[in-house]
Amino acid sequence: MATAETPTGTLDALPDSLEKTLQSLNIPTEQIRFAVQSDINASGTYGEEWFILTDAAIFTLTGAGEVLHYIPYKSVLGIRAEVVVDAGLLVLETEEGTVDLIRYSNGFAPKFGFVARFIGDELEFHKGKRDEAPIWDYKPEDHSCKSCGRLLPDEFSPCPACTKKHKVMLRILSYIQPYRGRAILYTIFLIVGTLITLMPPYFTRILVDDILQVGESDNAVPEASETWLGEIFRGIEPLTVALSVAVGMLLAILVISTIFSIFQQRLGAWLTFRIASNIRAHVYQHLHNLSIRFFDKRTTGTVISHITEDSERLQDFMLEGLSFLSVQLFLFFGIGSMLFWMNWKLACFVLIPIPIIVLGASWFWKKVRSLWHRAYRRRSKLFDVVNDSVSGIRVVRAFGQQKDEVNRFGRANIDARDYETHAEMIWSTYYPPLMFAVQFGTLIVWYFGGLDIITGPMKLGTLFAFLGYLAMFYEPLRYVSPLINWASRSMTAAERLFEVIDSQPEQFDDGTLKTMPNIAGEVRFHNMTFGYESHKPVLRDINLHVQPGEMIGLVGHSGAGKSTLINLICRFYTPDSGRLEIDGEDIKGIDLKDLRSQIGVVLQDPYLFSGTIAENIAYAHPDASMEDIIAAAKAANAHEFIVKFPDGYDTEVGERGGSLSGGERQRVSIARAILHNPRILILDEATSSVDVETEKKIQQAIDRLVQNRTTFAIAHRLSTLRNADRLFVIEKGKGVECGSHEELMEKKGIYYKLVETQREAANVRAQAQVVEG
Amino acid sequence: MQNENGEKQDRLAIGDGAKPEPPEPDDFTPRYLDAAQLTFTRSEVGTARLEIRQEACYLRVMVRRLMPLSNPDGYISLGADEDSEIGILVNLSELAPESLKIVQEELDKRYFTPTIQKIYRVKEHFGIHEWEVETERGRVTFSVRGLNQNIKQVPPARLFVTDVRGNRYDIPDYRELDLQSYQQIQRHL
Repeated sequence: MATAETPTGTLDALPDSLEKTLQSLNIPTEQIRFAVQSDINASGTYGEEWFILTDAAIFTLTGAGEVLHYIPYKSVLGIRAEVVVDAGLLVLETEEGTVDLIRYSNGFAPKFGFVARFIGDELEFHKGKRDEAPIWDYKPEDHSCKSCGRLLPDEFSPCPACTKKHKVMLRILSYIQPYRGRAILYTIFLIVGTLITLMPPYFTRILVDDILQVGESDNAVPEASETWLGEIFRGIEPLTVALSVAVGMLLAILVISTIFSIFQQRLGAWLTFRIASNIRAHVYQHLHNLSIRFFDKRTTGTVISHITEDSERLQDFMLEGLSFLSVQLFLFFGIGSMLFWMNWKLACFVLIPIPIIVLGASWFWKKVRSLWHRAYRRRSKLFDVVNDSVSGIRVVRAFGQQKDEVNRFGRANIDARDYETHAEMIWSTYYPPLMFAVQFGTLIVWYFGGLDIITGPMKLGTLFAFLGYLAMFYEPLRYVSPLINWASRSMTAAERLFEVIDSQPEQFDDGTLKTMPNIAGEVRFHNMTFGYESHKPVLRDINLHVQPGEMIGLVGHSGAGKSTLINLICRFYTPDSGRLEIDGEDIKGIDLKDLRSQIGVVLQDPYLFSGTIAENIAYAHPDASMEDIIAAAKAANAHEFIVKFPDGYDTEVGERGGSLSGGERQRVSIARAILHNPRILILDEATSSVDVETEKKIQQAIDRLVQNRTTFAIAHRLSTLRNADRLFVIEKGKGVECGSHEELMEKKGIYYKLVETQREAANVRAQAQVVEG
Repeated sequence: MQNENGEKQDRLAIGDGAKPEPPEPDDFTPRYLDAAQLTFTRSEVGTARLEIRQEACYLRVMVRRLMPLSNPDGYISLGADEDSEIGILVNLSELAPESLKIVQEELDKRYFTPTIQKIYRVKEHFGIHEWEVETERGRVTFSVRGLNQNIKQVPPARLFVTDVRGNRYDIPDYRELDLQSYQQIQRHL
């Protein structure tokens, strides 16, 4: 058999043992064209099985080398990859009947899907139904990191293992770059402010030891002070002056610390909001350069939360968390060394409760967090119930289901109550003991510090200072765990934001892009195949040559692939194989800006943006003159209803054009397309879902719009395609018929059947109207 | 069709004009098949062949569950191909044992979804959870991204886990798993 191309090494490598098995069946290795491994046995358990195509036959083998199927290639009539529930099945049509050849799990579906397509195309080629041998262009979908081999969170993401958390932090900080001066100032404020906070307990010590107690003491010659500052105060006479000076200094410290805190926080806010808004702007700008596939893989909600929630989370953390964390860290070590400096023995006692506090707190936070999370889930479920029944209130009333709805709410409500109570009760049970552990540290200091005072070596002021520092020392420990969580969640949020920024844009301009400012409108599909997932082709081997200015009606059942064809012309997606050319140029190589500026779309449910009617009509050309806008509206039969609005062209259309009727919105969108003046026009069900009278108006408008433009129109009502030069009939992803209305009616094929069915339906409706009339 | 059970047969008889032919594709009356009339056999090439006594023979019959989650062994739709339904079989167990075996094999082929019986471990690395589990189809390891989106709960306690390659795994009731498996689930839910 003449083989088109012998691919080697692109699929799975056949193990030596199986090669030997085939050799024992008189099949030398050179005859093996390719082998594909599956992961499910014929019996449905996990295990290795092989599909092998040789020059003359198709084999399936078990991993142990037992031949399951042997089918001569020439008896094969067709092959297909069938999608079953959570797995796949390769099915062969042979002269003897249908054979279920090999089973595989979903992970292997792309591979087997390709194999089926390749062999199917080759069979058609041999039968002469196809003029070109299929090209071996299998590209395994690889979603793992290029550098570490780990699976990526999704195909567009950067590898989370290779983007280190501290790198994320550095990247956030890189946004500070433009505000370097202020950032340095902020850091200085932070450090100095923290140092100042450390001072009051120190003054307490002097106040007690060197002023108050000296006054009380009966000793004629007081012993020397333990600190140099204390020594100075001892020199001041009388004591009341010393007291005033000390208290005055405390006051000064407080004032300075307040002023520092004001400046530091103002500066922090200024910096944080700027950084966050810069990141947000960067993400949003990038979002508009991403391919439609990026949006396919995510819900609108996820994309929106990228921009709003993630950046907010990051912002909150930077604003409060980051400074809190750095201040507390600074304080912890600052106070720690202070305590050891004042009395190292006592400081050792202070350390005793620390492991208990840290371990207890992290256990506690972990527990309450999961409980709160569960309670939160129940609560949002409760809101779902409310949302569900309120938005469907008419249906609820119409079916008299109020009571059931109330019960449904009641159950969800009780569920939410129980979970929330439980979470709160756990919190109330474990939080006080945690506080106790903290208090306990203070008790230790009172006892051992007190002992030291009674036995002599320590002074009362030192104890007071010690206790003052202690409160500050234990404080951050309680929050270590939630803070770490907060930090790591914010870093993840930041990562998700950077993930958008790092995702591949729709088109790279590597200098080879062709600029086409004046497209003539010739469109040519050449053996084009495409599927949203490459193993499930939606369109197969499309061949169509459209002349500039021609109107093509796309006909077919819903799900046949008409809208997909249109998505490809807009280049929201690129063909998996074959070519799509505009004016003889492969669409992949055309500058998207040029391409899209010359394509216009009118959709079934046109999307209008919030703004005035005039703004919506001029969406593609915001600088269009009022004359242009009116001309477009006139041509679209929209002017007549716009003048009737009290606000005329200044009428706000509201969210999604809510204040306009379907037909009105449609005409505004046609006016938008007319003003855009595209070379290639796409009409996707533009006249459905409106009444007959409006349809006539829209049809008129469309007739004006399609003049001299290459037009692709989809319509379920075939009568609306009467102006089409040619009709292209798609059936299950394949182009089956093409020609004028008359030609296709004569052919009595699929189009003929569709027209007949619609005619019958129309007759039934007409009769019904007569009866009603 | 003389042996078909009374009421259903009557309705069919009216719809078909009493001709012994399968109903027209646009027939909107569901056809319930009498298990006693059905014989499933394996064809030479291994497909499931269905004979409806004194009526018709289908070379490759397609079996589909109408309620795959809530009633996997009831309401089985039998089809001649993707688009044309021959009829509905209400209760599988009414079939003769040989036929039942073939239908169950076909169902097994069409509904792969492995049931997780034991969870050995669930480990997280950078947002990807690696599961090692025992299913009725054997032991398997798979990776799941972002547990929230990829674990669907069907109340009260059924879970469907979807892995990165698009495979789905079923946990019919996570409360009934053994303690170790249950803890693994609890830890990550």
